[in-house]
Amino acid sequence: MISEQVIKDMVQQIVEKMVMDKKQSDEENYFTETDTNSQPRGCMDDEKLKDLTEIKIQDYFTVSNPENKEAYLQLKESTPARVGIWRTGPRYLTDTLLRFRADHAVAMDAVFTYVSEELLEEMGLFSVNTLCHDKDEYMTRPDLGRKFSEESIERIKEKCIKSPQVQIYVSDGLSSTAIEANIKDILPSIMQGLKNYGLKIGTPFFVKHGRVPAMDVISEVLDAEVTVVLIGERPGLATGESMSCYMAYRGKVGMPESRRTVISNIHKGGTSATEAGAHIAQIVKEMIEQKASGLDLKL
Amino acid sequence: MRENIFSVGIDIGTSTTQLVFSKLIIENTASIMAIPRIQIIDKEVVYRSDIHFTPLLSETQIDGEAIRKIIELEYRKAEIPFERIDTGAVIITGETARKENANEIINTLSGLAGDFVVATAGPDLEGIIAGKGAGAAKFSKERSCTVVNLDIGGGTTNIAIFKNGEVVDTACLDIGGRLIKFEDDQLKVAYASNKIKILAKDIGVDIQVGKRLSVDEVEGLCKRMGDILAESLGMIPQTTLLQEMLTGTPLKWKQKIDYISFSGGVADYMFNKSSASLFKYGDIGILLGKSIGSSSWLESSKVIQASETIGATVVGAGTHTTEISGSTITIESSILPIKNIPILRVNPEDEELVSDQLSCKIAERLDWFRLENDQQLVALAMKGLKNPSFQQIQQLAKAIIRGVEEKLRDGEPLIIVVENDMAKILGQGIHAHLVSKRDVICIDSIKVDNGDYIDIGKPLANGKVVPVIIKTLVFNY
Repeated sequence: MISEQVIKDMVQQIVEKMVMDKKQSDEENYFTETDTNSQPRGCMDDEKLKDLTEIKIQDYFTVSNPENKEAYLQLKESTPARVGIWRTGPRYLTDTLLRFRADHAVAMDAVFTYVSEELLEEMGLFSVNTLCHDKDEYMTRPDLGRKFSEESIERIKEKCIKSPQVQIYVSDGLSSTAIEANIKDILPSIMQGLKNYGLKIGTPFFVKHGRVPAMDVISEVLDAEVTVVLIGERPGLATGESMSCYMAYRGKVGMPESRRTVISNIHKGGTSATEAGAHIAQIVKEMIEQKASGLDLKL
Repeated sequence: MRENIFSVGIDIGTSTTQLVFSKLIIENTASIMAIPRIQIIDKEVVYRSDIHFTPLLSETQIDGEAIRKIIELEYRKAEIPFERIDTGAVIITGETARKENANEIINTLSGLAGDFVVATAGPDLEGIIAGKGAGAAKFSKERSCTVVNLDIGGGTTNIAIFKNGEVVDTACLDIGGRLIKFEDDQLKVAYASNKIKILAKDIGVDIQVGKRLSVDEVEGLCKRMGDILAESLGMIPQTTLLQEMLTGTPLKWKQKIDYISFSGGVADYMFNKSSASLFKYGDIGILLGKSIGSSSWLESSKVIQASETIGATVVGAGTHTTEISGSTITIESSILPIKNIPILRVNPEDEELVSDQLSCKIAERLDWFRLENDQQLVALAMKGLKNPSFQQIQQLAKAIIRGVEEKLRDGEPLIIVVENDMAKILGQGIHAHLVSKRDVICIDSIKVDNGDYIDIGKPLANGKVVPVIIKTLVFNY
């Protein structure tokens, strides 16, 4: 008879051996993989990492054994909220947690990057800066994001047509990503609409480090009837690409906020840039007809 | 910002004619900061007419004059002037739709009932409208399940299957409560449809006008009729007779059906325990209902209570036929409403083509369409793009113009219906590239197919949306 102790020992030995073997083969695999690159040990090339944000959050579904997956996914279509993500104990699954942090990183990038010079050149937009010198100042001093230096104002005056019916400009605001994603489609779309309505359009340009009320300064400087700014929205976890359009009839520095009309949520998960552009053109036409904007404008 | 629309539904069925007036409430459900999204947020039936027998002049002729009187009477009783009605539909169903003057009647009536009340017909549409009116579509959406609704009327049974609120299949059978009519309570046959004679022969019953049937024989007929319904749903093995009783194609739906609901006049008697006279209407309706209600094939299925039975079709016609277009569209309100515009749908594969080829395809299809139909106006329909780029829109606009413009006569409007939210920018692009002066109507969020006809009403909500009614759906896979 083999004693209980002997069996225990045997089992322990076998298990240990299995674990060791597995560990060894894992390590071997790991080294062969990384050795082919000239990377230091333990590092992986970024290119090889999968982009967690590639899957639309509405399609991200990790409930195991769902009663009715199809119905759940249909409900999920109506919200970017993180539902149907499952859990481990009271915590997120690792994948969900990483996705959360990846989405947050997208938002951070949207705020702290700049709109590329190439895009501005391609769109034919010249660039002026507000009184902010860098992103940190832009974040901490909202008052400076709505003012321009004398030189900047001179530059605007020199480059732009005076007294247009509609002055459009583009500004990074809190998301350069939003501008990169939408501007190529929305700007020509608004311009085409305004042209169809026979309106006189000013010279479009770009404002770096801009806050919304900077539009009032521009409106005064250029004597525009309607001023339109396309500006990046504060990004959230749902998207970093969301853009807003603020419009004002005869904008004045210090005017009440209620005189602004806004169309928000312009991105590919919200209103598409081209369709929004056509809508904005119509609103501008209404503003000129009614000589009003914001709450005074009846749509 | 809420707006009420008044809608009328008129159902001229095999045995009964009914009207309902309903109020559809539309509202912009988007926030003040977003692009508007105007939707129908509530529907309420505000008046139901009496249930009238459908007046006939003969076996083949509907009495149009008598129907007109019924309608005028009910408008008066409801105290709703004709001008108040914004939208609605007249539907002519079952055997009545096969009468010689059905078309003429329905067109005159739709004009009488209101400016934008449209004429509809077709067995597929009947089933869908009844299923929506019976609440089957809503139930399937709320519970995320599949529901089949059987609307058993006087002349036909219209079947529609809904999955998650969407129609997935339809069929129509010559099974109804008034396919045999009796002269008296001694069951002396006054009328029997041809199809019912075939069914009777199949079970060895001889029906002849003027001769009496026994209660047993009638029960046998009703049981066989009920079984045909079960056969069509695939609940019991199919027989060759099924093919005979179908008016069109059989159901193709092979997946699970979770619930069954029954509407139509016959449905009222399915689970009715009262032993009142079985033949008080001089037809087989009550017995047919009881027979289906007690059939063995029904025991194993889950039956849900329809929210409407005899009124399902009329409520469906009154409250479920009007749709609202997307809220960013291109319209020319001076030419609205426009009615009975046939749909010419661009093939999905063709939509992928580059501009030049697409315009050739559009032109080709338009030529072919004009050969088949003498109608001039046509609406071009396509799925369109999600998040189109400005360039894509310009290409598409130019392709449409090249394909269509030369084919249109002077002053004829260019009408486009797309599914995806892009109608305003597409309309704008077309306006920008159009050479001739022409009205452009471009609406979205509307799904149509070849064979459909569309009616577009006067704009609502300060010109943001138009009501749309889609008719005579041909159900294709």
